[in-house]
Amino acid sequence: MTAPTPMLLLRASEVTGRPVVTLSGELVAEIKDVVFERSGGRIAGFTLRNPGLFSRSRKDSLPWVGVHGIGRDAVMVADETVLIAANELASRKQSRDADVLQDRVLTDNGRDLGRVVDVVLHSGTSLDVVGYEVEASEALGTAGRHVFIPLPDTVAVSGENLIVPAAATEFVSEDLAGFGAAVGAFRARLREGAS
Amino acid sequence: MLFSQARKRDVVNTATATRVARVDGFVVLPGPARVALLRLGKVSGAGTLLAWEDVRGFGPDAVTVATDAVIRPPRDGLEQRAEDNDLEILGKRVLTERGMELGSITDVDFDPETGAVTTLITKTETLAGQRMIGLGGYAVVVSD
Repeated sequence: MTAPTPMLLLRASEVTGRPVVTLSGELVAEIKDVVFERSGGRIAGFTLRNPGLFSRSRKDSLPWVGVHGIGRDAVMVADETVLIAANELASRKQSRDADVLQDRVLTDNGRDLGRVVDVVLHSGTSLDVVGYEVEASEALGTAGRHVFIPLPDTVAVSGENLIVPAAATEFVSEDLAGFGAAVGAFRARLREGAS
Repeated sequence: MLFSQARKRDVVNTATATRVARVDGFVVLPGPARVALLRLGKVSGAGTLLAWEDVRGFGPDAVTVATDAVIRPPRDGLEQRAEDNDLEILGKRVLTERGMELGSITDVDFDPETGAVTTLITKTETLAGQRMIGLGGYAVVVSD
């Protein structure tokens, strides 16, 4: 009677404020912020705050590997032992402007597609970074608008640029709803090209 | 039998044939989902908990016990939370292990012979009892 889990895409920024709940049903914390990792454009984890109106930041944080599932309504963890010290999480990223936000997205043939404004996560049987929400440049013909660009399985990143295959421009979506299919199609194309 | 039908049922001592309490609520524990304790009201002593093992019969008209002595106060932290109503399953939100909310529990179906929870009921869903992974102060967690 279990319905198939639909492909759920969410923006990293939307995760802010979501409750962190253990599989035993206890509320542990709320997500305060997303911590991005420089290498590979991945997410290192989340900083936490105590639940409630006058919430305080906490000294512990939730590493990406400790996440059991992220859904529309909660971030699930096995139990509180997956939490680590907040400074331990921070040390996993590079100290200088450590997140991918505002990075320039460049195709491998040298076109500037725009700047990253958010990261798109896919929550299914595993958790993946599947693309970026980008404020489009002139190159996309939708300059100034926010569009979604799919990410290959691996991506090269430097201090300020993020390189994607030129084929990614064919799979740009203007809304998150259609983006799931675009990611799948894009990755299928890349696999065909590689074989 | 539904919790909504089983509540308010009299608890009767079969040795003295007297009514000793009334069923006020149910304490459900996961793995496998079952009624572990009954929360009682209108008791004469200090305790308000009755372990499922100490129930002689959960009948259509009354719950029977062999002696009043089985109605007791909480023995550990978990039972204390149960008595404090922190673990009350009715009205609690249901979350899947992937973090999707499925509404709040409106009723629970259980087997009065064994105490096994067979179905969790929300406004929009009926969930098999085996899907229940955890029950805490914040939510009932079910597998996908």
